[in-house]
Amino acid sequence: MASVTITNVWKYYGKTVAVKDLNIHCEDGEFVSVLGPSGCGKSSTLRMLAGLEHISAGDIHFGDMRVNELEPKDRDIAMVFENYALYPHKTVYENMANPLRLRGSSEDLIEKRIAFAAEMLEIEHLLQRKPMELSGGQKQRTAIGRAIVREPKLFLFDEPIAHLDAKLRARMRGELKLMQRRLGTTMIYVTHDQLEAMSMADRIAVMHNGVLQQLGTPQEIYNHPVNEWVAGFVGEPPMNFFDCELVEEGGRFVLVHPAFRQMVSEAQSALLRGALRGTSVRMGIRPDQISIGGKSTVESVAGTIKVTEPLGGDTLVNVDLKNAQLLVKTHPDFSGAMGETCHLTFDTGRWHFFASDNGIAYF
Amino acid sequence: MASRDVVTYKTPLSRLLNVVIVIFLAFYLVWTILPLFLMFVSSFKDLLAAFQLPPVGAFSQIGIFFDFEPTTKHYYNLFYNLGFSTYLMNSIIAAGGSAVVSVVLGSMAAYSLSRVDFRGKGDLFFWIISTRMAPVVAVLVPLYAIFRGFDLIGTRTGLILAYTTFNLPFAIWILKGFFDNVPFAIEEASMVDGSTRFQAFRAILPLVAPGIGAFLVLCVLFAWNDFLFASIIGSGGAKTLPPATRELVQPQNIQWGSIMAAGVVTTVPMMFLGLLIRRYLVTGLTMGAVRE
Repeated sequence: MASVTITNVWKYYGKTVAVKDLNIHCEDGEFVSVLGPSGCGKSSTLRMLAGLEHISAGDIHFGDMRVNELEPKDRDIAMVFENYALYPHKTVYENMANPLRLRGSSEDLIEKRIAFAAEMLEIEHLLQRKPMELSGGQKQRTAIGRAIVREPKLFLFDEPIAHLDAKLRARMRGELKLMQRRLGTTMIYVTHDQLEAMSMADRIAVMHNGVLQQLGTPQEIYNHPVNEWVAGFVGEPPMNFFDCELVEEGGRFVLVHPAFRQMVSEAQSALLRGALRGTSVRMGIRPDQISIGGKSTVESVAGTIKVTEPLGGDTLVNVDLKNAQLLVKTHPDFSGAMGETCHLTFDTGRWHFFASDNGIAYF
Repeated sequence: MASRDVVTYKTPLSRLLNVVIVIFLAFYLVWTILPLFLMFVSSFKDLLAAFQLPPVGAFSQIGIFFDFEPTTKHYYNLFYNLGFSTYLMNSIIAAGGSAVVSVVLGSMAAYSLSRVDFRGKGDLFFWIISTRMAPVVAVLVPLYAIFRGFDLIGTRTGLILAYTTFNLPFAIWILKGFFDNVPFAIEEASMVDGSTRFQAFRAILPLVAPGIGAFLVLCVLFAWNDFLFASIIGSGGAKTLPPATRELVQPQNIQWGSIMAAGVVTTVPMMFLGLLIRRYLVTGLTMGAVRE
């Protein structure tokens, strides 16, 4: 087992920059998820860790060992690929035995390790089958089995469950997390699905356009996004954003939007005062931080219900404001018809302000 | 997966077309099989029996073709008096040797052309294919001069080299297509599992087996059927079956019986090779191992 340190790493493909000056440190035994949309450089990062891509600039260390020039076989890693990459002409057993055979392990040990992995992954009855005869979930388990038999220093998972159906994916999330905790092996897990990252990882590295946006625990990422992009990417349904002006009134700021005026708390005003540039900001608030009701109050904002989407456990309400739209997540027995007027109350303690020019969060 | 059957409905035109197709195939079958059949039957006939023909148009006397005492004397003559066992061995070694050399070098070259990006790759690939564009005759004289310089005329090594010159570009061209269809992830998985680049290359070889099989057949066929190289580069010590058969046509005596027997000896192994390798020509081995 080992810690992983990525220092000032760049990756170019020709003139295209895939990864820009990346710095991530991952503790021994930690589960770090690299999250981002497709093309953000997360897979390139993983492939550089695996040794399948050259590192254009910078260093990668496993523990104290610099691995830049090491071949994949010498890095003592195990990787699970997005498309499983099983050997089609070999049985499940032989697929899983391959990494051990290449290292010259004895047949006894191979059998023991495979039995252990197969039991953990519940694929004992499939060992003599070929990949062609397996379902997607079974293939994926075989690929994971091939990774864990060797007890490597580091697991690299490249969207391993992206192609499974929703139900199986939900189950595998829990199982993978449990497996990583049981084995205690450092894990780097690349995904574009924020739900996977949030639910499994100890820490998340959010990447966008090859740049690391934020590295932190799921709670930090969710509750204290460093910029507008992270705030908008993480969270389902996504955060609502409004272009607003700030006006100072009696020592406090007031947030002014064509559709509403909201007081900014003293503490938040203090945070703004030192940092604020200009008067315009972007306000972001998550759909579950807005409450919706029929009665108007002093702080409430009036809007028109556009459409409601009952999800069973919650209900999503699309609301039209004067010249903006927003999404509210509310309780399932909310009864509002299309076209009715409703009154929204913002949880102003938990909203976020971002600079309107570069999107960096004030708080 | 959707059904791959194409739904068709019968129309008078399609029925007529079917009849025409069957008639055409019947003629084609006769056209293809008849010479082989005559060759096979004649090789077991005495020379007199072989030239017994029914009068033109007398189809009722067609049985005369089958009215003969089978004899193996032509085969005996071929192998005991004319030294065809040596020529057969020369053919096998030249064809097999060039196939093996081409497949070993060709698969490695095709793999690197398929996987690695390097400067001038497109030009290199075109140059390799372009060597196949010139007709064999065009290079024969210079090749002869070169081979004579190295004392390769009339040797099996010389023949293997000559055939490899022509088979290798072909091997690279065919196998590159097959390697292109193998996902990178499988060999990357192999390398992460702990294999070297070369071991990873070997790990995906079973996936291009259909390509290697197809190529082996074509490569052996080219060398086996070749007359030009065999009669010039191989003349003297490494005569193969085609030029040896040609020598049975002598000014004062055309040995028809032996020629027919030599034809059978030359044809039969290639037919068995085709049957043997057919299994590998079926593609689709990677199905299900990776997600497309």
